Amino acid sequence: MTDWILFIPELYTLAAGGVFFFFCLGRGRPGRDYAAAMMLSAAGLVLTVCTAGFEGLVFEGVYQVDLYSQVFKALIYSGFFLTVCLCADLSGVDKARHSEFYLLLCLSTLAMMLLASSVHLLTIYISLEISSYSLYVLVYFRRGYPKGAAPAFQYFVFGAASSAVMLFGFALVYGAFGTAHMAELMGQVPARINEPVVFTGFVLSLSGFFFKLAVFPFHLWAPDAYEAAPHQVSAYIATASKVAAIAILVRMIALTGGQSDRVAWVLIFVSVASMTAGNLAAMAQKDIKRLLAFSSVAHAGYVMIGILSANAMGYTGAIFYGLSLMVMKFTCFMVVVKAADGGRNIKTDALAGLHQRAPVLALALLLALFGLAGIPPTIGFTAKLLVFKAAMEQGLLWLVIIAMLNVVISLYYYLGVLKAAYFTAPASQPRAIAVSLPFRLLALAMIVFMVAGGLYPRYMTALAGAMTAGLLP
Amino acid sequence: MLLQPVPEISLFLAWAAAVVPLAAFGLILVFLRGLPRAAAGTSVAAAAVSLICAVCLLVRHLGMDAPLQSSVTWMASGDFEIAVGVLLDPLSLVMLVIVTCIAFLVQVYSLGYMAGDAGYGRYFGFMSLFAWAMAGLVLAPNILQVFIFWELVGVSSYLLIGFWYEKFSATRAGKKAFIMTRAGDTLFFWGWLILLVWGGTLQIFELNSGAHGLSSAMTTASALLVFGGIIGKSAQFPLMTWLPDAMEGPTPVSALLHSATMVAAGVFLLGRLFPFFSQSDTVMTVCMAVGTVSMLLSATMAMVSRDIKQVWAYSTISQLGFMIMALGAGGYAAGIFHLTTHAGFKALLFLCAGVLIHAHDTNDMFVIGRAGGRRMKTAMVCMTAGALALAGIWPFSGFFSKEAIMGALAAADNPVWLFCGLAGVFLTAYYTFRLIFIILFPRTQAAGANSHGHGSVPASAAMYAVLVILAVITLAAGFFAQGFQDFISIHSPHAKDGHTAFLAHIASPVLAVAGIFAAWMQFGRSASDQVGFAEKIGPVGRLFASRWYLDHVYAWITDRVLDRGIAEGARRTENRVIEGALAMITGWVVICGRMAAGWHRAMIQPKLMVAVAVMFGLTLILLVV
Repeated sequence: MTDWILFIPELYTLAAGGVFFFFCLGRGRPGRDYAAAMMLSAAGLVLTVCTAGFEGLVFEGVYQVDLYSQVFKALIYSGFFLTVCLCADLSGVDKARHSEFYLLLCLSTLAMMLLASSVHLLTIYISLEISSYSLYVLVYFRRGYPKGAAPAFQYFVFGAASSAVMLFGFALVYGAFGTAHMAELMGQVPARINEPVVFTGFVLSLSGFFFKLAVFPFHLWAPDAYEAAPHQVSAYIATASKVAAIAILVRMIALTGGQSDRVAWVLIFVSVASMTAGNLAAMAQKDIKRLLAFSSVAHAGYVMIGILSANAMGYTGAIFYGLSLMVMKFTCFMVVVKAADGGRNIKTDALAGLHQRAPVLALALLLALFGLAGIPPTIGFTAKLLVFKAAMEQGLLWLVIIAMLNVVISLYYYLGVLKAAYFTAPASQPRAIAVSLPFRLLALAMIVFMVAGGLYPRYMTALAGAMTAGLLP
Repeated sequence: MLLQPVPEISLFLAWAAAVVPLAAFGLILVFLRGLPRAAAGTSVAAAAVSLICAVCLLVRHLGMDAPLQSSVTWMASGDFEIAVGVLLDPLSLVMLVIVTCIAFLVQVYSLGYMAGDAGYGRYFGFMSLFAWAMAGLVLAPNILQVFIFWELVGVSSYLLIGFWYEKFSATRAGKKAFIMTRAGDTLFFWGWLILLVWGGTLQIFELNSGAHGLSSAMTTASALLVFGGIIGKSAQFPLMTWLPDAMEGPTPVSALLHSATMVAAGVFLLGRLFPFFSQSDTVMTVCMAVGTVSMLLSATMAMVSRDIKQVWAYSTISQLGFMIMALGAGGYAAGIFHLTTHAGFKALLFLCAGVLIHAHDTNDMFVIGRAGGRRMKTAMVCMTAGALALAGIWPFSGFFSKEAIMGALAAADNPVWLFCGLAGVFLTAYYTFRLIFIILFPRTQAAGANSHGHGSVPASAAMYAVLVILAVITLAAGFFAQGFQDFISIHSPHAKDGHTAFLAHIASPVLAVAGIFAAWMQFGRSASDQVGFAEKIGPVGRLFASRWYLDHVYAWITDRVLDRGIAEGARRTENRVIEGALAMITGWVVICGRMAAGWHRAMIQPKLMVAVAVMFGLTLILLVV
């Protein structure tokens, strides 16, 4: 028997998607779509927060509702809500397609919520696919992009390939154990992880999540997709999508019980490769969105440090890192959306004189970039501290040193952006950026959150710790 | 000898003596800067309260047999606690009375001297700041508190030397004083760090009683470093030339800070840590040597200066040198007694000089003499009394303290110290009466005595009252010599007080009289040409007048060694090695970044191939390994 009450947030999201589906049938009315999206996403956010205490199993045990999944759903919904907040100026998307845009966002969010609760290999696979399919289409929604469908198509092909590899891995795991239930796997995997079939299956099945989190080597889609997508979609991929990927990746790695050196080496390799490749490539970028894409790749590497440590501190750190990334990346995209005229892509130089054109945005950007670089007292510093401490507990000092070197490299391009925003005089007198009061409040909220997360992270880390309590052996 | 807690009333009095001037300072700076009279009143009242508290304390504890100490934790970090508190023993009680007494008298004197100055309120604010800092320093029970107030004293000295900051020479002198004393303070800082880290304690009582974990070599090292701070603060060789320059400040400031109290803080600290210092013979010898060199060098400088205040400044260095010699020789009570008497008569000399300078608008003794300085009878009588004390003539206080010092020096193993001390006595008498005679017996009278104040304010009654009080103190203090030394003396195996050497006691006053006679022959009698024997030999005169070229040495060191040597070397290293290496590394990193960015622009086929190959390759390799 299924307790449908536990499934209410997902049903609500489905219904919200239904609303936009009906809007699609009529003529496009961007104002109405935006208002509906704001209201529905805000109500959904409230709903997911209210249902954070739910617990139970649904659908024959393949769908687990617990604190872990519910908090992640709230985080995913916050990402959705914040993205919708940026949609007041959705000039990167055709007017007629706004309702479709929101429909796809709704569906993607729904799929990610399913992903957070999935404890069966098949539900994981299906929800991962649904969430990605919406995003493939959304990337293509960009109006008048010179490269046309190429980036979106690349994204799609890459996703399909990673899914294929992952499915192959799942098949091997299923073949070895005869079950796809995580609860059952959890008892058996740690003992047999070093068998070739199990190890191969497990590692290959990580591909899909690597793709989602943009971890090396499945990060190669990210720069092009970020660059080509409408700003809001890039923001969504960088925030909600990453949080969902962290949720499922932590669950998967927890399956191994953290006892396998071989799995750890795989993760260490992809972690180091991600941050190094991401940071190095980001240095050479002019386009802000492309730069942020590479920065996402690098941060996926840092998150992996927490995950591969596979201890309480590491999981807590990874979840906290996901939260901090969401806030910081969103703040960056908020500035990009505001600074870009008519949804065009902008180069770093276009931020010149930002501190005069929009002081509050410049300050938010400053804190977000400091946070991304890990400078105290911002939320990003706390996040890095947690994952680095987790690695130190595991005796991985050298890994932390590599990560620190990467942090130094990353300062180069973060400070480059800040230099443009604060110190470079604009060539011509650019227009002042009009920041409406609600938007100003949003920016202020982000500023407060980023500083508060740096100074008083105790509450949030305690919550993250409580979430992961069930994952540890 | 065990420490006992301070009784509550005494504790209250001690805190009041220190904190009331601080309150006055805050009040003046925040509210009363624009109200000069109120500011001055507040400051003088605070000084009076301090003085009363100090005298009460002294009277209450006159017969004390064990030091009293109380402290509270100010902040704590791990095992290390920073405590502030009060240590009451004969030394701190006497020093507190000296400081508050001179501070009070000088402030009263300043009421007249500084009248009409634009910065009247600010002046009294800084004076209160100094009074607080000095009281906190005197009462400190641990080295850290000493150091904190030591630095505060330095700051107030800087502020007061540069009080007339619109004068370039004044700001420069303030900077020089601050930086040179800081050079010593740096050593002091290292010294107490050693005490803290290796010795494990900063409590003065524990250090003095030997309850620290330092080896003898470490004891010597830390004591020498602390002595570096004393050299800076008391303007001893080689950090001595800031003091004559500090005479750019107002004369009362010179009287209070740069003769009677602040510069004596160095000697006070030496006395404070006397049992600790005497644990190392090397340090005691170094003290004696530094004291002797400073004493003789500055005496020679005083012989050729034409500036009244500078003569007294050199004389201050010289007398501080005497005190340090005495302490180094083990004459603890003798050194502290000289500090006490010196505070009185040197303040008197400075304040008399202030009256003359005030009236004649010049520091040049020849000009003052020609302008009729001797007609200012009270000032001249008081100044002569102070000069007699400085020269060490019975029955003035200086006689008794100098006799005590000679006794301590005579007890030293090596007679060289005694000879140097006696030579110093002769020189002191000589340069002191050179100044007196030049003013009293000018060679050419100025036409008409019209120079009574070039529009400057005539000296007020308050100023004369202070002079008379100080003169009486100078005359009377000597007769308490025995009681004072009994009260102050400590039971230390190294203390050599009360030693008498008949020859030395005879030789000292004889040489002092000889010095005065020599000065009379060259400056006093009507046939003399008023040119000293040092000035008659050109090179020697120039050597003395240019302060033994010490400032040139400093200039050479700062210019060649610090600036062109170390700083320039560091700059070149920075430019070539560090920046070069950094530029190379960053250059390579940027190139790597360009390559990495380029690979990401590849077509989809190679990208996919790489991704799949990495995943399968990784799996395979790890399975094989």
